[in-house]
Formats: sequence, structure tokens, C-alpha cells
Amino acid sequence: MLGLSTAVEELALVLFTTLAPSGAIAFIFMGVISLSRKPDDTQRTSISRALALPILFALIGLVASAAHLGNPENALYVFTNIGGSPLSNEVLYAVIFLGLASIYWLYAFAKHPIRLLQDILMVLAIIFGIVFVTSVAFAYDVDTIITWHTVYSPLNLWLNALVGGPMLAMLGLRIARFVAVERRFGMVLLLISAIALCVNLVVYGLQSAYLSDISNSLVVASDLVPLYIPSIILFGVLGCISIILNAWVMRRYNQEDTHASRRSVLVLSSLSCFFVLLGIFVMRFSFYMMHMTVGLSV
Amino acid sequence: MTQYGFYFDNTRCTGCRTCEMACKDYKDLDADTAFRHVYDYEGGTWEERANGIYEQSCFTYHLSISCQHCTSPACTEVCPTTAMHKEADTGLVVVDVTKCIGCGYCHMACPYNAPKVDRAAGHSVKCNGCQERLEEGKRPICVESCPVRALDFGDIGELREKYDGVSAIAPMPPSSYTDPNIVIKACDDARTPEEGDGFVANVQEVI
Repeated sequence: MLGLSTAVEELALVLFTTLAPSGAIAFIFMGVISLSRKPDDTQRTSISRALALPILFALIGLVASAAHLGNPENALYVFTNIGGSPLSNEVLYAVIFLGLASIYWLYAFAKHPIRLLQDILMVLAIIFGIVFVTSVAFAYDVDTIITWHTVYSPLNLWLNALVGGPMLAMLGLRIARFVAVERRFGMVLLLISAIALCVNLVVYGLQSAYLSDISNSLVVASDLVPLYIPSIILFGVLGCISIILNAWVMRRYNQEDTHASRRSVLVLSSLSCFFVLLGIFVMRFSFYMMHMTVGLSV
Repeated sequence: MTQYGFYFDNTRCTGCRTCEMACKDYKDLDADTAFRHVYDYEGGTWEERANGIYEQSCFTYHLSISCQHCTSPACTEVCPTTAMHKEADTGLVVVDVTKCIGCGYCHMACPYNAPKVDRAAGHSVKCNGCQERLEEGKRPICVESCPVRALDFGDIGELREKYDGVSAIAPMPPSSYTDPNIVIKACDDARTPEEGDGFVANVQEVI
């Protein structure tokens, strides 16, 4: 299979683009909740500390992306082409976002944190989180790579993050023992993920139809990803399982009116994250499989 | 500033691969790496006329290309470290291995499949126009090795004056993407990149 070798070679980037955008979006959702008036001070502190989870996911993604470099000791040179190379921009925004997010997280351990300073840090982290996800979405938008230089590529990356991010945020909020996640807040997050999943499936469907129209002198794009439609279906199924699993946890929690064992809630919530991220991983793998240029390479 | 480039005589090339092999030998490349590729481009059909006689429109020709040392190279534009750059005095696109991180973005973006990532060395590798030979007053090894003198190399302005030609034929991409520095004397069967009604017959060999 022609496309397979590209995707296997870029496995680290598949992992990066699976984990980091969802991590950033989860951070943003948790951040928005901590900025709102709903949580009291104790809850706020717990949520802030539980931000370690989405930060960790984004960080694992970034480390994975560095792992595919042939010469990591030259890594600092990536800042020499900021504004020119989309990859330089992506790394810059990743560093700024993760820097702000980590400082916010560390500051949550201060004995008497200044609320205003926390809020300013959080707003900045949210802004750069959005910029970071957008920079990843456009990182491969080069006009010579005809299968990636389409409206579908950035859209899909953003939608992937909006499908996975809320699931990760729910796990983070559960770790923080923020019980409102089992009620209205959880419903909103599930709804966002479900809508994003539906839109994402439609966009993938449109992209799949478009692939048979793209070709160079060597191949037709659809031949690079022969299992694209089954992959889309798998992504949809895994996304649905993840959403249903989360909804079931909420229902059980509310029905029993007590605490369905905390451990089972966390295990099921983690499973839900695993399923949705696995689905995104499959689609990111397909993204790298479909790489081809306008000319003489695949 | 000089801008070096190649000339390729599509009417002479027999597709013998001597250029490619001479390059591989001179640059000591492994079996999976080549800086120059020869594409076999074929097309056409046999059709039966009303009187029962068959008529054919079959064609085949060869295209030998390496890096085009483009005026607007896709590889240098996406390179995050500026390791992939155009030399100021020659216009040759070369890799500064002291800066390259081996991310492979140049390889992904180039529509001529020119830069490759040498995983063992950890950086990109590509045709450098035999810079070291140029400094000795010689021409690139591929040019010197061609048994039918289908290749030439020099200042692209002078090559364009000396030879009447085009900057792209199928299966190359349209030259509007990266503005390649090459002059091609096209054979009668040659297709423009836009026509492209043939196909590359040696895909497994060139990818």
C-alpha cells in the first residue's frame, strides 16, 4: 500500500496531532469553567491543579513530535524561520501555550494566589491555545501538497479537537471532583462533542468524495487511502461509544444520587477518552497516508 | 548573482539511467536513495477504424530530472530552520547540515521528490549541483556521464539563450508552482503538464 509507508514514517506526528489539539481544547474548556463563577475557590483550585491532565496530553504530543526528528540537537534553529515556515509558527505557539498553561498550573499551588493574575494568565493561555490548535491545523497547508492544501485538512483537525477535547475535559473535571460535570456542564460538553462529531463525519464524507478527483502523474489520491471510508465509520463508532459511555456515567451518577464508586467513574471516563482518541488517531493516520504532491512524489 | 540550472534534451534521452547511476556512485548513495530519477512516460491507445484496420496513438518518452534548484523552492519555504537554503552566489538549493533537524518537511513539500531524509545521518540530503565539482571547473557528474549528451548545466540565463525549450513537460508539475530552473527540449510526443494524458510506467522505481 503506497500511502502506508508515509504514515508509518510519520507515526510520531500522527500521535502529536492526535493528542496535542485535544489536550489544548480540553485545557480551554476546563479553563473557561474555572473562569466562570460556578466553582467556589476550593473547586477552582482543584480544577486548576487537574489541568495537569490536558497539559500532559499536549506535552506528550509535543515530545512525540520531537522524537521523529533526525537531529534534535539542532531543534532551537526552528525559531529562525518564524513567520516563514508554518512548522516554525506551530512550534512557537506550542511553546507559548504550554508555557502559559504550565505557569498557570504551577501558580495554582501558591498559598494565596492573586485571582486577577490567575485570570489574566488563563485568558492568555486560552487565546494561545486557540492560536496553537489553528497553527497545527494549517501546519501542512502548502500549495504543492495537493491532498492537504484543501479546506478539509484544517477543518478536520479543529473538529477532531472539538470531538476529543470535551471528553478529556470531563475526565479532568472528574479528577478535580467538580460534581457539576455530572449535570449541566457535562451535558454541554457532551453536546459540543456530539455536534462536532456529526459535522466531522460530514466533512470526512465530502473529503472522501473529493479524493478521487485529486491525482498527479503517479497516483490518484483515493488509492493512497483505500480504507478511508471504513476508517471514517470506525472513527464515528468510536466517537459514539465515547459519548454514550460518558452519558451513561452521568446517568448512573444522577440516578443513584450518591457516588457511583469514584474509581469506576474515573475508569469509565478514561476509557471514553481512549476510544475517542483512538478514533482520532485512525483519522490522523489516514491523513498522513494521503500525502502527495502536485508533481512526482507521494 | 548566477543562477545555475540544468538543460535536458528530451529528443535524445534513451532512458538508459547512466546519469542516475553515475550520481548514485559518485555520491555513494544506498539502493533506496537517488538524487536523479528517470521517469518513463507512456500513453496512447489502439483503436479500430470502421474498415477494420487498427490505428494507434501510443507514445513513450523519458524524463531525467533531479533538483530543479527552483527560483521559489517549496522546500526552502517550509523549512523551519532555514537549513534548506539557496546559495547566494550560485542559486543552488543546498542543505546546511549543521542546522537541519531532519523533520522531513522539505521532502513532503517538494513536487520533484528531490530532498530525502537520511534517517541514519539525521538530516536531509539532495542534489547540490555537484558544487564541489563546479569549484574545480567541472560539470555535474550526471551531465558528464550522459552517453548521448542529453544533459547540460550552467547559468540558466545562458542555457535559455543557447537552447530553445520549455520549463516543464509531463509528468512534471506546472512550473508555476516553484519556478524551476531547467530548460527542456521537448520531443514531438511530449505532453505539457496540463495535458498529462499519459502515465508514469515505472512508479515503483521512482518513489
